[in-house]
Amino acid sequence: MKRWLRFAALLLVGGAGLWVWSARQALHDFPDILPAYSAKEYCSCRFVMGFDAAYCRRYVEQYLPLASLEEDTARQSVSAQGLGRRQQAAVQGAGEGCRLLP
Amino acid sequence: MRRLWQGVGLMLLCACAAAQEVWPVPDWQRADNALNWQALDDYAFPTLAASGRAGVRSDALLVIRDGRILYERYRAPTRATTPHLTWSVSKSVLATLLGVAYGQQRFQLADPALRYYPALHQHPDVRLIDLLHWASGLDWQEDYEYAPLNSSVVAMLYTRGRQDMAGYTAARPAAVAPGTRFLYSSGDSNLLAAALRGMLADQDAGDYARRALFDPLGIRSAVWERDGAGTLVGSSYLYLSARDLARIGLLLLRDGRWQDQQLLPKGWVSFNRTPFAPAQAAAAPGEPIAGGHWWLNQPAAGRARPWPDAPADTYAALGHWGQALYVVPSERLLIVRYGDDRDTSYSHNALLARVLAVLAEEAR
Repeated sequence: MKRWLRFAALLLVGGAGLWVWSARQALHDFPDILPAYSAKEYCSCRFVMGFDAAYCRRYVEQYLPLASLEEDTARQSVSAQGLGRRQQAAVQGAGEGCRLLP
Repeated sequence: MRRLWQGVGLMLLCACAAAQEVWPVPDWQRADNALNWQALDDYAFPTLAASGRAGVRSDALLVIRDGRILYERYRAPTRATTPHLTWSVSKSVLATLLGVAYGQQRFQLADPALRYYPALHQHPDVRLIDLLHWASGLDWQEDYEYAPLNSSVVAMLYTRGRQDMAGYTAARPAAVAPGTRFLYSSGDSNLLAAALRGMLADQDAGDYARRALFDPLGIRSAVWERDGAGTLVGSSYLYLSARDLARIGLLLLRDGRWQDQQLLPKGWVSFNRTPFAPAQAAAAPGEPIAGGHWWLNQPAAGRARPWPDAPADTYAALGHWGQALYVVPSERLLIVRYGDDRDTSYSHNALLARVLAVLAEEAR
């Protein structure tokens, strides 16, 4: 019985390891999604659609909270932090809206 | 005296011709009507809890018949002048822009996309028509917030692909032969945007959408965001006021003609509206069928129409969170609906049914 349990645990850990390996790229990118999404869509909400800051904060809200979301109104740029990563988006020019910065 | 009567007759004739066809030039006109829109109001603009995001959350609703506004309503902060995010409605507008390029004989549908976008060298058999049918055959996972880890579209828009969205898509492996399988893919749309860019001289590519499509239609509100490589995010990031999106609808409704200018060649709109057979074969019940980068109210074999209360000739441009442009040629009808739907409450058929019921009442 004990041996059987050990075998199952080993299988589980091994399976998890394989999955992590196969999804390593996606897992590496994952923490960037929240701040990148928030920075980009908040930037467009504010500076393309022209909505107010309070509305746009609610508009980009996800289940996971951000550590910070700040806009530089004069420069029309936005910085979002969450899941340990930071992303920025900014207006590019008339008719071109916002873009995530590299 | 006889000449005077001839002159009057001519003037009347001109007036009649003008009355037959109304254009939003310079701006949309309103129709005189005392129709009862209560059922539509109740459906599209229900009283919502101040907090929370449940239910049908319309931002804009615009109903146009015979080129005149019958109904128009906005929910703050969206207004008539707001360039609202259209999400995947962008794809169908991109197809319309490609229609203008097609009329300028810049490409043929059967051309390999590689000819205009060399980064597709690993996929030389993908044709422009395959991309327009969302049938590149490339491996793709189109899912937004529910499966972000493996979502190709999230990676393309926000992480790995954002510097060059077409490049990211072109690097995906092939899953099946091009043209054989419908798989809805924002990547295919961005490959089209890159191919269009490749058809144009460098100095023309930047404002082609404005010059070729938006200016002739009198569209002033458009903002079309780009990726890091400077290519239009054809899949997702076009912003238009509801009234301006309706101009695209009117162009389609009138078979590619804007006043006396044939902007889209005859046959282009028919291509948009022709079901892609593998999409029709594979459609889930209630899902519209893909045509040439537009969505059709066509039934899969042996099934009911996806929107049973709307005529079979209804077609649409559809986007995330409830964005929609519906065209109903048999009713000479356009509907623009913008939303911020964060659940699945909103139903295309329910909205179409309520609009059509009002028009049926009017006809009685």
